[in-house]
Amino acid sequence: MITYEAENNGDAAAESTGGDIIQTADSSSFATIVLDSSGAIAVEFMSYGCVHCRTLEPVLQQAAVILQAKEKIVRVNTALEADLTDRYDIVGTPTFIMFLNGLEVGRADGPAPRLENILKIITQPYESLRHYAK
Amino acid sequence: MPNELEQQVKPILLYNDECAVCRRIGAWVQKSARNKLGEDTLIVRPIGADPADLRSLNPKLDIWDAYDTIHILMINGTMKTGGEAVAETLRRIPCCSWFSWSFAVSVGGHRPFQFLLSQAYAILSAIRPLFGCESCGIQGGYLKHVVSLLTRPSNRQGFTAKKHRTGLISHRPK
Repeated sequence: MITYEAENNGDAAAESTGGDIIQTADSSSFATIVLDSSGAIAVEFMSYGCVHCRTLEPVLQQAAVILQAKEKIVRVNTALEADLTDRYDIVGTPTFIMFLNGLEVGRADGPAPRLENILKIITQPYESLRHYAK
Repeated sequence: MPNELEQQVKPILLYNDECAVCRRIGAWVQKSARNKLGEDTLIVRPIGADPADLRSLNPKLDIWDAYDTIHILMINGTMKTGGEAVAETLRRIPCCSWFSWSFAVSVGGHRPFQFLLSQAYAILSAIRPLFGCESCGIQGGYLKHVVSLLTRPSNRQGFTAKKHRTGLISHRPK
């Protein structure tokens, strides 16, 4: 459950870090960082030249701080990683793919750049899986 | 990488190579920014996709900012952005020297020509995706689609975005 307090903590933490807390994966490190890792990892396929990605960036930094205990957020630059972009059939940026233990469990493209929305699209696939696992 | 970049002996103009308009303007500047001796008066280079590479040019340079507005990196370590960067670029292009002096003209503490230039840049910057922008996922000739939609209502149902040449189409936030 995402609370207002958590959002405030995220704001404060994001400000305190003052930088980029989202790890960037490339084609050589993607397997290690994402596919071979256990747990929940959300991958943002983005491009620095994309205005929507730019709008989303500060929100995503906050989300990364809030979610860091449960889900990790990783960035893939589509301008550099054509292989990964093709492999995951990315047709637009930003696109999020949620992985659990290396398997794709959810996907969202062009999300609205609001914190509650980003938290929802990232956590929802995992919440659903936990629900069905019960 | 050219030696000029490492030593920063000339200003560096950064342009968005994922934007068709910026690419064409960048190519024109590169061709035009030569003095009578045939030497380049500034370095024109794409922003690229590596934040660390940009920070090596200037530690204060953020890649998101670089894509947001035009930047020129001066040899004294300062940066000019937006309309100021455009004016600085024009000053360094020999064929524009006949009018580029006007951007420094001050009237009552205001620079009217610089103001007009900054406004013109802001407008061009805002509408440039309409002329083709890979990073925004909008194809060149997008306006043709708009005109087609407006003039041929029967096409509206069939209009779908096509992949542009890099295979990416950005989605507007829902």
